[in-house]
Formats: sequence, structure tokens, C-alpha cells
Amino acid sequence: MGKTLKSSVTSNRRRFLKTTGASVAALTLAGCTSDDTGSGGDGGDGGDNGSDGGSGGNQGTTTGSSGGSVDEVVIGSNHPLSGSLAATGVGMNNAIKLAAMRKNEAGGIESLGGAEVNVIQGDNQGKQELGGQVTEELLSDGANVLTGCYSSPVTTAATQVAERQGVPFVISIAAADNILENRGFNYVYRPQPPARRMASDYADLVPTVVRDNGGTLDTAGLFYINNSYGQAIRDSLRETLPEQDVEIVEETAIEFGASNANTQVSRLRQADPDTIIASTYVAGGVLLAQALQDQSYRPPHLTACASATFTDDKAVSDIGDFANGVLDNNYALNPTTDKTAEVRSQFTENYDQEFSASVGMAYTAGEVIIQAIEEAGSADSEDINNALKQLQYEDHISAMGTIEFNDAGENINALAPVNQVQDLSVKVVYPEEYAETSPQI
Amino acid sequence: MPQIDISVVTFPLQGGGLDRFTDPLVQFLTDIANLDAVLLQLLAFGLLLGGVYALTALGLTMIFGVMDVINFAHGVFLVVGMYTVWLVSESLGISPFVGIPIAAVVLFVLGVVVHVLTVEPILEAPQQNQLIATLGVLLIIQSAIEIVFTPDPQQVQLSLGSLQVGGVFIPLGQLYALIIALGTMLAVRAFLNSTDLGRRIRGTADNRDGARYVGINVKRINYLTFGIGAALAGVAGASIALFQRFDPFTGETYLINAFVIVILGGLGSFPGAFVGGLIVGMIQVFGGYYLPGTTAQVLIFLLFIGTLLVKPEGLFGGADA
Repeated sequence: MGKTLKSSVTSNRRRFLKTTGASVAALTLAGCTSDDTGSGGDGGDGGDNGSDGGSGGNQGTTTGSSGGSVDEVVIGSNHPLSGSLAATGVGMNNAIKLAAMRKNEAGGIESLGGAEVNVIQGDNQGKQELGGQVTEELLSDGANVLTGCYSSPVTTAATQVAERQGVPFVISIAAADNILENRGFNYVYRPQPPARRMASDYADLVPTVVRDNGGTLDTAGLFYINNSYGQAIRDSLRETLPEQDVEIVEETAIEFGASNANTQVSRLRQADPDTIIASTYVAGGVLLAQALQDQSYRPPHLTACASATFTDDKAVSDIGDFANGVLDNNYALNPTTDKTAEVRSQFTENYDQEFSASVGMAYTAGEVIIQAIEEAGSADSEDINNALKQLQYEDHISAMGTIEFNDAGENINALAPVNQVQDLSVKVVYPEEYAETSPQI
Repeated sequence: MPQIDISVVTFPLQGGGLDRFTDPLVQFLTDIANLDAVLLQLLAFGLLLGGVYALTALGLTMIFGVMDVINFAHGVFLVVGMYTVWLVSESLGISPFVGIPIAAVVLFVLGVVVHVLTVEPILEAPQQNQLIATLGVLLIIQSAIEIVFTPDPQQVQLSLGSLQVGGVFIPLGQLYALIIALGTMLAVRAFLNSTDLGRRIRGTADNRDGARYVGINVKRINYLTFGIGAALAGVAGASIALFQRFDPFTGETYLINAFVIVILGGLGSFPGAFVGGLIVGMIQVFGGYYLPGTTAQVLIFLLFIGTLLVKPEGLFGGADA
């Protein structure tokens, strides 16, 4: 249009600039905070963690004036039900509901006379600024115990509120170390391995798998999502890979919501490492695979650390044959127990969704909460919190040992085994106690 | 060719945090001095990405240029275009390329409906009213798509691959999007310059009151403009679907970039949108390659702020925009 369409009124232009500028700034800020806290620090938690014990949490829904028998115990599920993380977030929320449904079908909380487990949900949209707000809303709606949030920055904000209110929070998925590190939390627990553990598991397991099967893995290029989760994995890999004689020769980040990974792959192609290690949400890994194919490049070993992409059946299917052979160490479903198949079948039947490793990890978090309620014999948040501290839970479907938490709230037996995409199916290949097939290098 | 190393050059204030910027600059200059082949590859990627960005900004700049309306629903119009081409190709088995004009028609109709129902009644109200109304439209359509199609990402089953020209890889999907962007821009420009309706639209953009005085049906021009702007978003969304997975929320990132491009290039300016798109694309690609992390994004928004401060009318703006 150039010289054809004139904005005749200058003040209109100024209004546009002013209004749009403010709007774009707001949108951008929202995007930045939702996707990327970036600091790798402790999320600005203000240093007042848990000092007051909060309100003591909610007491559950009771019948009778004395509050003797409990009708139901409420789990507040704080996940991204809309926004670009919703595809996985909705599945995770459904997994929590399934855990509750299975318990209710089995008679409810036995130690509470068959009280029902009720799940209420809140949508954090994957935005950090909503993490705390949704938590507050779930608590005011009567949640006795909380879970969430998939995105690490969101979880950082949500757990701060839970801690302040004195209500236990079991993280469904969120990898960043700093969610629990140096925050002095007393009410937050994480069944999954945190970033540092996943990175050390990568360094311990993946080079071993490659080398034991005749491959070479001396150099690596990192491809990570630029938020607290991706940065935490990157930082940990920097520490752990050299211990296994793997040199990092390139690092490149992708922005949340990026439209392609062409530039990043150009950098990786120039460095030509033995392996590219991807640490991204689902979309980032898909973009990586597409850019690699567009540039006709694939390192000898395409691997991932804590990446959601290569444990997601739909993403693997969308990527196609190029996904075959990718090694990804991440939390995984335990293929060696019958319960896994049973839960998977029930989930797909009820929700018409894939039961991915991420969804499975959320299911495990749901079961951890329910088991803690059972052992507490109470709907009181403080009692549930005490039960979580003592919990030893074996009958779960994740590929790791007994779930029990240390003083910081981390699961001391958390594990990120090695998965491999074989025939467009995600399979655990190492360590052997959880392996359903052998790795193909 | 002997390799040139200019890393020995010391820049003022080099050291500490400044290395974050000076080291990449040294590397960039070294690559230029050595005529490194990677530069050509990055140039190609920048051009392709910039073309897509420009395409996403065309409809936004047109609607503002004529109507002074900030259309926040533009992002979700892109998404409707993506889903249209996907539906056409998946359900009817028609080539996704045929889906592109279909998306344009669907979006034109949707644009007219949105305009008549939400924008027209408050067109003369203060500008923030239209902004809020179109933001509401965005949320409604986005939620409707999420309810109908779930938040699961979708993709058009089209494996286009890439061209290799002298060691430079050109992803064909993005190349087609660039060609569509250029073609669309030329077509709309020809429409505005060479048809009666186009001239009426330009006249209305020049002076809405004056247009009424000479007998132009401004109300009709308004909904046609909104429809055409939405159709341009449809074409953009449909083109993006050729090479990228999408979900109901994919439009958000493109919307933010489109605002930056429109302001950078000049409000209401098609060439401005194109050049603005290329600048943003080049910064993302070259910045992404040379700068650590995602520092390139910071540069883009610094440029955005700088434009607002120094040349708020944009590169192609001013009295003639």
C-alpha cells in the first residue's frame, strides 16, 4: 500500500502506537514469563518460604457438626488445559482424574471409611503468572492437596503459594532443580527425577548404551528450550558429561513458540558432534527433527535428555521414520508390570488420548497423593503432608524404585531410564531391569 | 583462501558481560571476511522466515490502514486458515495447495461476520473498545477450535523436503510460503491500484469523511476491508500449515511478531510489512546463529522500542503512509 493507504489523523497513529505498544508489551511479557524465567535461580521466591505454616490448609468436606466422618478428599489439579502445552497438560489432568476414579471404584479411601477422592481442576495456560493464582483458586475451592504443573516456571510460582498456605503439593511434572533447591520447602514433593538427576542419568546411561553396542560418543551438541527447565538440563549436562569423557562442542537454544529450528541446526551441523542432545517440550523436538531433515543432516546418534518429544506417541508418529533410533533418557512407564498395561488401557478407553510417559508420570503423582491420604487417614492437609514425608510407595507404574522423599522433597529413588524409538514405538531399553527390548545402535 | 582471524582485535569495553556481544560480533565479522558459506545459508533462512512473517502482517496492516482498527483476532484468523487447509486436505483428500484459496474464502466470510457483529457497532467508539472486542473474538474462536479439535497439534500430511543449491538448503514448504507472500502482496497492491473498489478503499483510507462526501459507501468498504484483511490472514495461516505443526494457540507468537513488523515497517504500508518482516526474520536467524541463547529476541524488541521512540511512523510510514 505504501503511498496509497493514508492514516489521515495523526492522533490515531499515536493512539495505535500507544495502545498497541502497551498490548504487545503485555503479550510479550506474558509470553516471556510463561515460557522462560531464564535466570536459573530460585524463581524469585522472596525468601519467606514456609515460615508461618500458612493457614493449615483445608479440612476436607465433612458430614455432621463435629466433622467426624469425611465424605471426600479434594485434589487440586493445576495444569495447562489451554495454550501450547495443553495437548500434554489435558492428558496429565485426566491422569490425575483416572487415579482418583480407580481409587473410588475400589471403594474409596479405606482409612476414611470409603471417602471419595474428588479432583478439581484449574487451567494455568502454561503461564507463570497464573501458577500462583490458579493454586489460590483451587485452595479456595476446597483442595486438601495439590498437584501440577508441567511447566517448571509455572510450578515455581504454584509451589510458592502452596508452601505459604501449608498445603502439600506433589509435582506431577516439572524438572527444574530450583523448584525445590534452596527454597526450604516443607510441603512440596517431586516423584520424578529433577533436571540434575536426569542429566546425570543421561551421562551414566546413554554413553554406556552407545559404547557397549559399538558406537562412539565423544562429543555432544546441546539443543535446549530456553527456559528454567532447558537451562537446568543444560547446566547439569555441562557438569556430568565431561565426567564420562563426552565433550560439549556446541550449545544452541530455541525460543518457546518458535516456528522452526533451522538456525540452531545450522550451528549443530557446523559443529558436527557425535550426538545432538535435545531437551525441549514436544514442539521443540518436532522442529528439530524437521530442520535436521530439511538440511539432510543427522549425527551418528540422535539423543535427548528429559525431552517430551521422543516419549510422545503422536509426536513420534508425526515425525515419522526419522524418529526411529532416537535415544531419550526420561521418566518412563514401567513395561515390566501388568498394572501399566491395565492403566494405559483404562486411560485410552476413558479419554481417547495417548498414555505417554508424561501422562503416566502425572498418574503416578496422583497415586502418590492418594496413597498418602490413605496412610494419613485424614483429609487434613497437615496430616497428608506428614504422611508424604513417611511415604514408601512401591505399587506404581513408573520405571523407578520405591518412591520415598528426602528432606528436600525429592524422590531418592527417582530414575530416568533410557528409551528408544523403535518402529515408531517408544520402548525402554536400559537399564535391564526395566528394559522391554534391546537397544539398536 | 587463507583464513582471516580478526579475533585479535580488541573492542572498547570488551570483557565481562560484553563478551556476550563482542565475541559473536567478532565471529560474524570473521565469517564475512572469510566469505564463509554459512552466511549464504543464513541469508536464505532469513529470507524465508522474513517472508512468512511479512505474510502474517499484511492483513493486520491493511485493516489498520483503512479502518484504524487494531485487530487482535488476527492471530486466531491465522489459526483458522491453518485448520481450514488441514481439514480440506485430511477430510476431502484435496491437495493442501488447493486449500489455500479455500482458506482465503472462509476467512473472508468469517472476517465480514466478525466485523458486522463486533466491530461495526463500535467503530466510532474510542480505539481501545475495538481492541477489547477483537481480543474477545480471539478468545472465543480459539476456545471453539480447542473444543472441536482438542489442543492436540495437527499437521498437514505433506512431505515437501528441501532444495539444495550450491550447498545451501532451502526447505520447500517455506519457499512456497515466501512465493505466496510475494504473490499475495503484488495481487493486493494491483487490486488496490487498478480496480474501482481498490481505489475506493484507498480513498476511504485517505479520508473517511471525504470518502462519504464523494459518495463512497464507507460502511461497505469497512466490511470488505475487514474481510480482505482476514482473507490475507487465512492465506498466511494456510501457507504456514504447509511446513509447521499447529494447534489452537499457534497464532499467538505470529501475532506478536506481526505487531512488531507493522510498527517497524509503517502502519498501513504493504512494502513496510514486507521489509519489516525481512528485518525481523534476518535478526532472528543471524542473531540466533551468532548470539548466545535466544538473545536475538531481545534485539527484536529493542528494535521495536527504538522504532517507537525514534521513528514512530515506521520505516515506510510518515505523511505518505
